[in-house]
Amino acid sequence: MKLAWTLLGLVLLSGCQGLRLQPLMGVNTRLSTPGDDRSPSMARQGVVWIAPGPAGQHQVRWFDLASGMGGPLPGLNRPDAQPISVSVDAKGSRIALVRSLDGRTELLLYNRNLASLRPLMLVPAGVPARVALSADGQQLAVQVSRGGRWEVEVMRVP
Amino acid sequence: MRRAQLLLVVLLLAGCSQRYSAPGLGDQEDPALSGNGRLLVSVVDRGGRRSLRLVERSTGRELPLPGLRQGQPHRSPSLSWTGRYLAFIRQRGTRPEAVLLDRLSGRLQPLALPNDRLPERLSLAPDGQQLAVQVLRRGQLDLELFRLPALEPDLPAGAPLP
Repeated sequence: MKLAWTLLGLVLLSGCQGLRLQPLMGVNTRLSTPGDDRSPSMARQGVVWIAPGPAGQHQVRWFDLASGMGGPLPGLNRPDAQPISVSVDAKGSRIALVRSLDGRTELLLYNRNLASLRPLMLVPAGVPARVALSADGQQLAVQVSRGGRWEVEVMRVP
Repeated sequence: MRRAQLLLVVLLLAGCSQRYSAPGLGDQEDPALSGNGRLLVSVVDRGGRRSLRLVERSTGRELPLPGLRQGQPHRSPSLSWTGRYLAFIRQRGTRPEAVLLDRLSGRLQPLALPNDRLPERLSLAPDGQQLAVQVLRRGQLDLELFRLPALEPDLPAGAPLP
């Protein structure tokens, strides 16, 4: 009888503990930086996020899980820009970014294969905040402030 | 003529985006999409309560999220490929808690982070097999990655099994 109660207790406790998470130990130590890391977004084989840069400014970073190394993002980061939100597609080829530059907040799309960055226009105009790409990289959802209210809109990104 | 062309371009661009407001909803924030953008989840203000809203974009229909009434406010939702898995952060008393809803089984499970970490933001890998978490630990925001070995992979239709 005591054994049955013990078993029941163990079952109940295991249910309370929730879903088991296995830390990626080797990776997590390499991701760790002094300063705040923000806005993670997972691809199938990598992650992008906003990390402190060498001169104290923040920058977007890419870490490739297959190679276990960070990768360059030429043309994406600027020392005078402050990244706010970032999102990546499943292949890790497209990165959507909201950043503040020269007192403006802008929405951009970066192609990692071409190292190209292009602005995306909001119509009607608004101030973007958080951005999310679909895993196929074809759609983008963005939180926008218009007239003192937060709205969400989705656009196609061909 | 030039003005007409400009107007046409603006109209075409405006037609490329969709907004998802509904009567009775306040601010909408923190969006996330399923793999092909079929589903949109966001945090909406419903009379002062900030909770998740899942919408099927083709119809605009709001889909039910059973078992999510407790632990508001919600934040930082993230969807897997088909939208089977929905990870997000909810408030349990004074502590934020990362949770995962399996929409196929209806099961809602806490994601057990190591004790000294508080979740701030989440991102679920498209197949649901890995999770990136922005954690608050000893006053600093860190990025940590975790495997979710107990979850069945959520793959796009036609994708080969791993």
